[in-house]
Order: sequence, then C-alpha cells, then structure tokens
Amino acid sequence: MSITAETAKQHANDPAVLCCRAEAGTELTPANFEDPAIFPDLVDSGLLNLDGALTIGQVLNGSKLTKTVDSLTPVTADIVDKFDAAEGAEEAPAAEEVAEAAPAVAAPVAAAPVAPVAGGVISLHIGEGKDINIQIPVGIGGGAVAAAPAAVAAAPVAAAPAAAEEEGEAVVVREMTRKHYKIDKVVLGDETKIEGTTLYIREAAATEGADAQKLVHSLTLDVITPDNYHTYTETVMDIQPIATKEDDYELGEGVTRVLDGVVMMVTGITEEGIQVGEFGSSEGYIDENMMWGRPGAVDKGEIIIRAHAVIDNKKNMERPGPIAIHTAVDHVTQEIRNAMKKQLTDEQVVDTQVMKQVRRPGKKKIVIVKEIMGQGAMHDNFLFPTEPVGVLGAKPNVDLGNVPVAANPLEVMDGCIHALTCIGPASKEMSRHYWREPLVYEAIHDDDVDLVGVIFVGSPQANTDKFYVSRRLGQMVESMNVDGAFVTTEGFGNNHVDFTSHIEQIGKRGVPVVGFSFCAVQGALVTGNKYCDAMIDNNKSMSGIENEVLACNTLCHEDAIRGLAMLKAKMAGETIKAPERKYTHAVKESNVELIEKAYGTKMELVENEQSLPMSEKRKAKYD
Amino acid sequence: MENIQMLLKQGAVGKPCAPVVKVGDKVKKGTLIATPTGLGVNVHSSVYGEVVEILEDRIIIKPDDEQPEEYEKIAKGTNLEMIKEAGVIGQGGAGFPTFIKADAHLDHGYVLVNASECEPGLRHNIQQIEEDPAPLLRGIHYLMEIAGADKGIIAIKKKNRAAVEALDALLKDDPAIERHLLPDIYPMGEERAVVRECLGIELEPDKLPSAANAIVINSETVYSCVAAIEDQKPLIDKNITVRGMIEGGNEAHVFEKVPVGTSVGALIERAGGLDSRGYGEIIMGGAFTGKSTTLDAPITKATGAILVTRQFRDLHGAKVGILVCACGGNLERMQELVKKYNGTETHVCYCKQAAEMPNGTRKCERPGNCPGQVKNNLEFKKAGCEYIIIGNCSDCSNTVMASGPKMGLKVMHQTDLAMMAIGHALYRTLKVSKKVDQDLDVVDNVEDNETVE
Repeated sequence: MSITAETAKQHANDPAVLCCRAEAGTELTPANFEDPAIFPDLVDSGLLNLDGALTIGQVLNGSKLTKTVDSLTPVTADIVDKFDAAEGAEEAPAAEEVAEAAPAVAAPVAAAPVAPVAGGVISLHIGEGKDINIQIPVGIGGGAVAAAPAAVAAAPVAAAPAAAEEEGEAVVVREMTRKHYKIDKVVLGDETKIEGTTLYIREAAATEGADAQKLVHSLTLDVITPDNYHTYTETVMDIQPIATKEDDYELGEGVTRVLDGVVMMVTGITEEGIQVGEFGSSEGYIDENMMWGRPGAVDKGEIIIRAHAVIDNKKNMERPGPIAIHTAVDHVTQEIRNAMKKQLTDEQVVDTQVMKQVRRPGKKKIVIVKEIMGQGAMHDNFLFPTEPVGVLGAKPNVDLGNVPVAANPLEVMDGCIHALTCIGPASKEMSRHYWREPLVYEAIHDDDVDLVGVIFVGSPQANTDKFYVSRRLGQMVESMNVDGAFVTTEGFGNNHVDFTSHIEQIGKRGVPVVGFSFCAVQGALVTGNKYCDAMIDNNKSMSGIENEVLACNTLCHEDAIRGLAMLKAKMAGETIKAPERKYTHAVKESNVELIEKAYGTKMELVENEQSLPMSEKRKAKYD
Repeated sequence: MENIQMLLKQGAVGKPCAPVVKVGDKVKKGTLIATPTGLGVNVHSSVYGEVVEILEDRIIIKPDDEQPEEYEKIAKGTNLEMIKEAGVIGQGGAGFPTFIKADAHLDHGYVLVNASECEPGLRHNIQQIEEDPAPLLRGIHYLMEIAGADKGIIAIKKKNRAAVEALDALLKDDPAIERHLLPDIYPMGEERAVVRECLGIELEPDKLPSAANAIVINSETVYSCVAAIEDQKPLIDKNITVRGMIEGGNEAHVFEKVPVGTSVGALIERAGGLDSRGYGEIIMGGAFTGKSTTLDAPITKATGAILVTRQFRDLHGAKVGILVCACGGNLERMQELVKKYNGTETHVCYCKQAAEMPNGTRKCERPGNCPGQVKNNLEFKKAGCEYIIIGNCSDCSNTVMASGPKMGLKVMHQTDLAMMAIGHALYRTLKVSKKVDQDLDVVDNVEDNETVE
C-alpha cells in the first residue's frame, strides 16, 4: 500500500519499491512506494528481489522515473534520473541498545503466586543525570500482517513511575469468599450426597437430564481417577468447576462453595460417532491429550467426572445440539450443588479464600476485553447464570447479539461464563478458564494499575456483525475513560477479524492496547492494522500449532505478566519493537529474560505438550 | 406493445414521487403523472395510453396502438425552471436532479461535460455526439449561464475520433468551450476524475465539484436540457445501449428515444433476443457500476445500458476472496457474484482508497490511481483463498495482477463475463498510458510497460 510522508520518513533507510505501475517522468512521492513493513513476506514468497534497490530517503528529493515500470519494481539507479548518496547507517539498530538494557523498573510487579513465567519487556536504560528508565516491550505477533512500526529508538519519555499522579488509597469495591471442600472419592450410586470427602452421585440424574433434552439420546457418567488417566475419551467439550452459591447470593458476591479435587468434564458425539467439536478434537487418551494445570484444564491429581452425551446426527454443528448437552449435564451438576448447599458444613472447609475487587485511584486505569466465540453451534457462551458455571438464568451471548457486556472481576472468577465454545482444543477457553482467569487475576493483584472491569464481546459469524459489535465496543471503552486496554481472544482465524478490529476501535480512540492470542505459526493474524503493534502470543506448543492438546495454547499467568508489562510500557508512551517476521520462541524468551532482570524475579514457564506421553495422533499429525 | 412501467423513483438518489393520476386516466406523451415528495423530479408519461394500475413503486400504463410523435409540452419559463419542469435528471449514473445541480452559483466557474462514456462497451452517448454535436454546445451555453460559469469543457476519450472531430469542427468558432481528451482507462467518468483531468484539482472524496468551482454533467443530460428549453419537451425517452449475449452478435445496439418505462426484455427482443446458447446475468447499467436485473424490470431516466453476460462457470465451492473498491460493485454486488459463481466467500478486503461516505457508499480517494494492492493479496493468501474477485479500476487491477497470480491467487474481475460477452479485453494488466496528448493526431505511447528485472 502506498505510504504517507510520515511513514516514508520512518522508512527512509529501507528500500524504495513502487507500489503501483508508474509512468516515465513521474516524480517520486511517498504515494508511489509500497510499505516496507511487508517486504519480508514478499521476498519470502519470491515476489520481490531487493538487490540494488535505492532507499526511500535517496529518491524522495525530486527523483523522476526514466522508465515506465510496474507495481513491485524496486527503484534502482538505472530507472531514475538522479538520487541522493546513501547515508551512513548511523543509527544503531534498536535491538542492540535494547540488549544492553538495564534494570530496575521501579515498583516491581508482585510476582505471580501460582504461576510461572512471563515475558515481554525490553528495558532501555538511558543514563542521563537522573536515571531514566524505559521499558520497550517486544511484540510477539505471529509473523502477522499486523504492521508493527519499526522500533523507533525510544525518546526519553517521562521518568518512570514518578509519583506525579495523585494516588488515593486502594479501595475495596466488593469482596467474595470461596470456601473450599475437599473431595477425594467419587462414587456413582442411587443418591447424590456428600459424606466426609466422598461425593456420591445419583446415576439416574444423568438419564433424567438426557430425557429432558429432545436431542440428547443418552448421557452417561463415569469417574476417572488419577490412576486411570490413560483412559480413552471423546472430544472434551468443557471442563467445569463444581461450585454453588451460598444462600441467595449472586455471582461475584457473598460466599461460593467449591469442591476441590474433582471437576466435571463434558464430552459428546453424534449417534454416528462424529465429535461435537470443530477445528480439531481432543479425543484420545486423557493423559496424552490434556495439558494438565492450564487454567481451563484438569490439574494432575484431580478426579474427573465424565459426562458423556450422544446426540442426534447432524446436530453437532447446530446450536441446539451443544446447548442440549450442556443443559443435560447441568441437571447432574445442579443436583450436586443442591447437596453442597444442604450438606456441607463449615467444619468441612479446608481452605478459605477472600477475593477482593480493588480499585486503585490515581493508577493507570485499564480494562480487560475478552472476545468470546459467538458464531453459533458450540461457538457460544451462557452469560451470567444463577450458579457458578450454571445454565439456569444465563443468556447465550449469540442471543444477545454478541454485543459487549460488562462484568466485574469477581463475577468472572465466580463462573459468570459457561463456555460452550469449541474452537481448536489447544486454544479454547473452557468454563474453568474463566474461573481461574490469569489476566484478571494478575491485573487485580498488580499495584501499578487500576482495573476498572472486564468486558465480554462475542465474535459473530458475519463480517458486518463483527464490525457492528466492534464499533459498540470501541464506544464503550471510550466512555470508560481508561488509560489502557487488553483484548484477548481464543481460537484463531475467523475471530481474528473482529479481534483486530476491536484493537483498532480502541486504539484509534487513543487508548493503548495489548492483544493476546494464539498466533505462532498456524494462527498468524489474517488481518491487522496499525494498532496491533503490541501482541502477546499465547502459544506454548513446540511447533507453534493447534496441536489438539486440550488448553495447551491458552492464556496463562506467564502471558498475563508479559502483557501487563507491555501495556504499562505502552501507556508510558514507549514504542513496542516489532517482532521478528517468522515466529520464533526467542522473542518470548528474551521478553521473559528482560522481565526477570527488571523485576528481579525468576519466572518459571509452564510445560507444553512435550511433557506428555506421545499420542499416536500427535505423532502422525504434528510432531 | 407491452405495458409501460413508470417507476416513482427514477434515480438512485432521492425520494419516490407521488402519483397525480388515477387508474382509468387517459394520458398522452408528456402528461405529468407524478410529482416529487422530497428530493426528486416530475415524472411524465412516455406514451399515449391509459393508467391501468398504480402500485406502491410504479404507475402502469397500457399504451394505445397509435403513438404520435407530438407530446404534451411543458410550460415556458426561465431555462432553469424548464429543466426542472421537464423532470431532467442526470443520465450518467445516480440520477441526481439536474435543476439542483445546475443552480450552482459558481464564481466564473466551469461546466464540465462528461462525455467519457467510461463504462466499457457503451456507445449511445458518443453516437449522439457524432450524429448531432450542435445541441451539446448550445446546451453548455445554457448551463453556463444558469450555473454562473464562463467556461465549458467537454471531456471525451481520445479513442472516439469521429466524435472529437465533429466537436472540433464546431468548437473552433466557440472560444468559451474547449474539449479535453481522456485516456481509455477506467474510470475517467467519475465526476471527481473529470474535475482532476480537466482542471488539475484533486477533490477529497466527500467534496462535490462545486468545491472546484465547477459542475460536472453527463452529455446526454445536456441534450435533455436543450430539449426542455428549446422544444418544451419533458424527459420521457432516452438512448440505450443493448449489448452482449444477444442473437446475431455482440455489437452494440443503440436505441434512440426509447420510452422510459420500457422493459429490459422488450429491449433485448428488439436487439435480437437472448442468445440461444445461454447467458449469465442481465445487468442494468454498465459492467462496473450496474446491477443485475430481470427481463420484466423497466428502464428509468437514468438507465444507460442493458448488458447480457456470459454464463457463470461453477467454482464448486472454492474459497473466494472479495476485494471491494469504490470503482466497481459494492460488497453486496460482489457477494452476489460469488454466489452465482458457486464460490465460498472467505475473506473481504477493501481497497485502501475506498473511503466510506456517511451514507455507507464508498468513493475512491484518487480515482484511477492505485494505492497498492499487495497487502490485500497477502491477506487473501493467508485466508486460504483460491480465487479473488475484484471490481477495481484499470490501474488497481494492474497492481492486483502484479502479485496475485504469482502468489497463486486466481484473479477474476467483476466485469469479466460482461467483457467476454461484448468482446472487450478483460481488466487485468494495464498497457496504456494514463496521460494522452491533447493533440488528436499525436499517437500516444501505449506500450511502454516493460518491467525492470
């Protein structure tokens, strides 16, 4: 695409290539040049050979073409009447300056409790009189089209976290308590009850759940204990915490009771054996296909209650099918919840967690936007059920038109999303993911920022609808008056259209944005815009692919920490250095290293599929 | 003779008119049958006959067997009043009311006559000039007086030598009017392109020619103004090119003074009938900006052409990317074509210069001058498209071709099936210069397209 005078200036030392046919006698202007940001793709695909090309800076001084040449022709000495001498490349590449980076960004972020690793900032120390510390986070952008401006050597921006702003006391807006109850044995039987640490489930509840749903032929339960993880399972449609509200509390307030050591797993196929999933399926042996410990996945050592549904043929890709399965399973879960309400006593509580929504007046205000799937079929989510991750009382975001809906952080972590969503297994965010949402968790625990809330926005099927919801989102964020925003998504491909549009709608309102997505090799962004210059790649897989290992490439604490560091830097007005063109783990690794140096902490990165026994499927298809 | 259907909304812009006749009324050619309710112009009957039905959007008239030449004249008045009374609208595209456009209050400005007939394959405008150029010049003088202009410029493609020579013979005695030769590329008839070519002023997409102290008016519209002023004739008939998959060959059939309200089918029959070997679709208007239509649809005062295209080939659900620009069809039109080709719409890109206007339409920021397309092609490729369909101008199509095929994208142009049907080169690469010498006898460099290795 033709470029502006400003872009031409930035790229003065990059090769001059004509974007379009230009006739002999044309005096070259920025409008004649292709944007150098996309050259690597063009060179790679053999469309462009830059040998002998003059730089843009050399031919903007009244040079005229002596020949009519076509689009994508490099401007060489033999087709212009004159050109300026090349300037000595004085500017040291930003990367080098960055590498020397020093330390201490004041106010280190509290190290993430549970998790691991993080990554994302390059710190640049300019020692001039008083210390000026600048962070330059490195974007990871999956080889994307996303035009990331080349790193402009950072101008000394305001000294770090100067206590300039008026800072008020942190304010606790609301609190919620999670009471944990231990379960170490699950037995299927005639009655649903909890005795000591044993959960009994009435098997007939499953049949009843199925009977109430016309499309569900059968629903069967079984219990998979840790010694039986090498059990075959159909594709996993969801992993859910088993939790209930005490009294009449609504989500995000009062007290929530949750069973530890056990989770609900939903699986489904059609009568003729088609997996209820799209873009891959995690069917196979659990120990080979479950990325243990991911926020959305099962933790090693937990007991899995598997609820397996068989539905009408052809209903796997229509909305009523997955909805029927989830509703049938919830009939079973609700019976457990009722037992929890009645039978559990405070003596049985093994752990109590008080969760607080904290606002920090005077700190940078940020918002988290989570894009959730809303294309229909299983690409749907029940929003705001009565019970944590329930069905009753909830509204599917598809029915809400996928428009942005606001939630507070405690609602998110109290199960306000019941996820039906089923894009590729490795990047899908299951219901449990929201219950343990790492970015929300890290943001409310970060003393440097003031998290105003969380917005969920659906990803509709049609492009026109995507832009419709995107514009609404932009307006909503504008009215929140925030200093920065995160936009996260699950999956890749179709939903990247609105994902990047969300970033644009927010970015063009002058709000710095950091995006989170699985991109890497297979999920490289198909669209982009100039606001997509700060991206965190959720990829963990070795090959950078959707490897069908459940939750492998979902947002983890290490990603959240990198994202926070990156957003803070961006809000401070610093430039994010463009990623390397081809996906490489090195970017994340160097970001992690820089954060470790800056914060003086050690980040441990989560494991990937290589830590699991190799499945036949993975061997054949991926690794 | 078939029934005539007079649409209450004759142009693409404005509001529908309100009927002023009722069922059973006898009408003559020129009888006023509907008047504006908002932006719009009078509608007059184009035939002698009887009103047989009034529908929400049209008045249906059963014509008499006898159709005398005479017509009911409009009242005399000032020239501007007569243009208004005659219901003249622009006949080059959207059908904007001419009396509003002409009443421009320019400051020693310009009347620019768009005689580019830019949609490929059309003939009726140029033929009208070739046959009788004198009224065009008289009309320009009327419009100059109305609009406050002291200069007239006729923009016409250099390839139309006979028409240019006919004009030149008259223009040598008329110092107030000159002609400006245009290259044979698309688009030259976009009104801001006409302003740029004639006056050297590049207007922003949201600006009207008045920002360049000019009005731009299609040549056939000028003739209609002359008829209104000199002959008190309302706009009830117009010239139409019918072309494409027609029995007997693909030459242009130009029909003059076709009554407004005649059906597409009647015109095709008059030309020879649909090609018995089959056809793809029927387009009302040009191949770039026209829309698909049906045999029973009536022509309006703004209709210029009926094109019958070649058959669609079956892409068997192949993934197709759509590149929308302002020069060709909008997204809906492109989606219609993808469906007709049996492709699967996979990704949509917009040309960088296709600026969206407040009413949702798009206008090109620099008509005919490409902003580069390779980034879109990369997107299509990443989205897995096998084909892309484009509606771009000559220059942009050329740019798409510079990278698309090398990336393995199969490029189709929105106009392909119409171009094949009329025997016109497909819009792919550009071999002609965007500049032409204003001397009719200087042969321009049309083949200097060498790519430097």
